[in-house]
Amino acid sequence: MYLLINFLKLNINKMKNIIVLTIGFFIAVLGFSNPLQAQTDKDEITVQVDGLGCPFCAYGLEKKFKEFKGIKNVAIEMETGVMTFDFPAKDSLAIEQIEEKVVDAGYTPVSVEIMRAGGVFETSQKEEMETAEGESIETTLFVAGNCGMCQARIEKAANDLDGVTEASWDKENKELSVLLNTSQTSLEELSATVAKAGHDTKTAKAEKGVYEKLPGCCQYERVD
Amino acid sequence: MKTVFYILIALLLMSSCQKDSSWQLTKTIDLDTITPIGLAIEGASLWVADGDNNRVVHLSLNGEIKKAYEGFERPMHLAVKGNTVFIPEYGADQITKFDGKTKKTLVLQDSLDAPAGISLWEQEYAIADFYNHRILYFNGTETITFGEEGKTEGLFYYPTDVQLTKDKIFVADAYNNRVQVFDKKGQFIKVIGTEEKMNAATGLGVSETQLFVTDFENDRVLIYNLEGTLQQIIEEGLEKPTDVFIDKNLLYIANYKGKNLMVYNHK
Repeated sequence: MYLLINFLKLNINKMKNIIVLTIGFFIAVLGFSNPLQAQTDKDEITVQVDGLGCPFCAYGLEKKFKEFKGIKNVAIEMETGVMTFDFPAKDSLAIEQIEEKVVDAGYTPVSVEIMRAGGVFETSQKEEMETAEGESIETTLFVAGNCGMCQARIEKAANDLDGVTEASWDKENKELSVLLNTSQTSLEELSATVAKAGHDTKTAKAEKGVYEKLPGCCQYERVD
Repeated sequence: MKTVFYILIALLLMSSCQKDSSWQLTKTIDLDTITPIGLAIEGASLWVADGDNNRVVHLSLNGEIKKAYEGFERPMHLAVKGNTVFIPEYGADQITKFDGKTKKTLVLQDSLDAPAGISLWEQEYAIADFYNHRILYFNGTETITFGEEGKTEGLFYYPTDVQLTKDKIFVADAYNNRVQVFDKKGQFIKVIGTEEKMNAATGLGVSETQLFVTDFENDRVLIYNLEGTLQQIIEEGLEKPTDVFIDKNLLYIANYKGKNLMVYNHK
């Protein structure tokens, strides 16, 4: 006991210093972490966009997104088609809302990734479904369109249809080539699907309102 | 009778010997990372609007980069007068006057929505106002605007470029796939190019005798006389052409996707 008291008496100053330094350290950490906390009140969003071939329209997409209240740091990489921006976390945009905005602007969102302010990561990437058994045939379909943006939209609409894979649209001859699983879908259904996306085929026409919402460069000559 | 006959033969021979003049490729200037949207030449200076990289680049006529200037929001079809470059900033909704050091905004009595092109003629200027589907024209004294969204004559569907001449205003009516010509009161005169099935008429240039139009999605440049008769189509080597400029006897074509300038002379 005597030895312990002596030890404490001898080392009290050192211990005081240690305690002060420790308290100071924690204050410093808490103090510096506040600005960091302030920076993470924004969600960081990355959208992979397809069809950015025409700069006049691509710059327009960027411009439209800049108009959204609260959005910051909008940038589009033309080469890769990657668009990034920050958005206030408190107003939390859902993946579906972002995809809708991109589609409204006439573009095709391939994927959306959100790094939430709280550190949660969300993505639109879906797991690949297993292909059903059945015969896949290679077939082609005339689809009206004009440009790279049209190509992206047509191919995505086709590929999103269950039973369709390897959709490829040729801008010159307006031909959509696909591998089509006949047990899952049909050419008629494919035709209706691309028409719903805004592109006339010989057997299905896009709705007037949908066609008119296409960007200017995509407004092809309607099929009679 | 014999005399008339000989004269006719002589005329026939002369016409068969006369070769049609046309624009022939003379060189290609590689632009490396520059993605050219607009170009203009003044003296020995070539100015290129590098839209994707938000900058304006000053080059020599051989393509040697003198300096790149950053910080322009999607610069488009620009124009040069003396030492001043007039830059439509699509993203900033303004025309910026730049002399290599300082930037000033061209003061207008109206607001723009994604200006895509500007043309200068003496004290006049005209601006292609993309999202407003119209042209702003200042005649040296007052400003008029003409056009609105539409597909019929006199209306526009996303005009991307404009060129002033002494007495006319030519407009690249991009997604109506045509060029429209107006007088300086904004009155419609004619349409050019509808028969050639253009796909995005994005840029244009006008010389004393010819009109040049970039047919963006079709990878070609169409050349007309000023009455609208097609005279030549340039296709070889073009990849998404966005603008043209005629300087002395040379034609420069900006290849956006090809990232180069193709230079032609008239032979």
